[in-house]
Amino acid sequence: MSSESAKSVLEPVAWLLQMITGLLMIVFVTLHFYVTHMVSHEALHYQEVIARLNMPEFKVMYTVLLLIVSFHAFNGLRAIALDTNAGVRNRNAINTLTMLMFLVAFFYGLYLLISL
Amino acid sequence: MAEFKIRRFDGKKSFWQTFEVPAKKGMTVLEGLYYIKENLDSSLAFRASCRMGICGSCAMKINGKPRLACETQILFLGDKITVEPLDNFRVIKDLITDFEGFFAKHKAVKPYLIREDVKYEEPKELLQTPEELNEYYVFTLCIKCGACYSVCPAAATLDGYLGPAAMAAAYRFCADSRDKGNEERYEIASSSNGVWRCHLAMECSEVCPKNVEPAKAVQMLRRKTAFSILKSILRW
Repeated sequence: MSSESAKSVLEPVAWLLQMITGLLMIVFVTLHFYVTHMVSHEALHYQEVIARLNMPEFKVMYTVLLLIVSFHAFNGLRAIALDTNAGVRNRNAINTLTMLMFLVAFFYGLYLLISL
Repeated sequence: MAEFKIRRFDGKKSFWQTFEVPAKKGMTVLEGLYYIKENLDSSLAFRASCRMGICGSCAMKINGKPRLACETQILFLGDKITVEPLDNFRVIKDLITDFEGFFAKHKAVKPYLIREDVKYEEPKELLQTPEELNEYYVFTLCIKCGACYSVCPAAATLDGYLGPAAMAAAYRFCADSRDKGNEERYEIASSSNGVWRCHLAMECSEVCPKNVEPAKAVQMLRRKTAFSILKSILRW
């Protein structure tokens, strides 16, 4: 058995944030689908998408959605990797790598959103 | 007659062997195994002790599901019975699996009352209300048969994972009003091999022969552990 027993702050915080982001995703993804599929037939046309993403309220909404989706995805990936013997042996590397991937995904998406 | 198809292991290779057992009403799978051992093949190895669902020794995979052989009647399952050793345990011989790691994990969560004022020379009665007893009573029913551990997907991929039985035992004592060792157990439960690895498949509760609901215990322990750590960070 592993002798590691020190209280990890990352794990409970990551667990709570995974639940919170999961709940927020239900709200934001529903909103996204409503806007893209229920409002008008042209909502997915290129010009419409660009125009929508240039509106400040949608920019904020998609920034938040990007943040919660990227965190939820890479934190989930981290949890899956830590479910394996190899993952637990390389716990610090897995934690660092997945958090870096989250930050890269978020900031790259943010750059695309801002540069539209 | 019932057909017993048993997955055997001789220390080197695993193979299936079939036996014909005369089954009658009320006869259990364990009695069927004893019939085989006494009349057909004395080399068949399995664990059993109390024969009444208390000791947890005879847990094995019967028709694809972990059950207690002593509490499973042959005729309830039909005339074809498949018997295998429990999953997620190393097989020693035939239906006997290695429980050393399982018991070590159970011991690791300190499954006993922790108090500073316990003096064996001056025993003290520790009073408890029925409501306080009900907080943990169901979790005291665990017989450590290993059925929950054998179906746990987290235990299948991570050798060091504490598992549902150990964490149910940890929660049982954390929820006991007489116990003062919560912080010690939260520390153990919050390790990388603890509560965070559970994905709530809930199979452990599904197969528990005593309806202990280890999945519920793990979730309760996870919540208590998370809030205990967050409280200590925020210095509440």
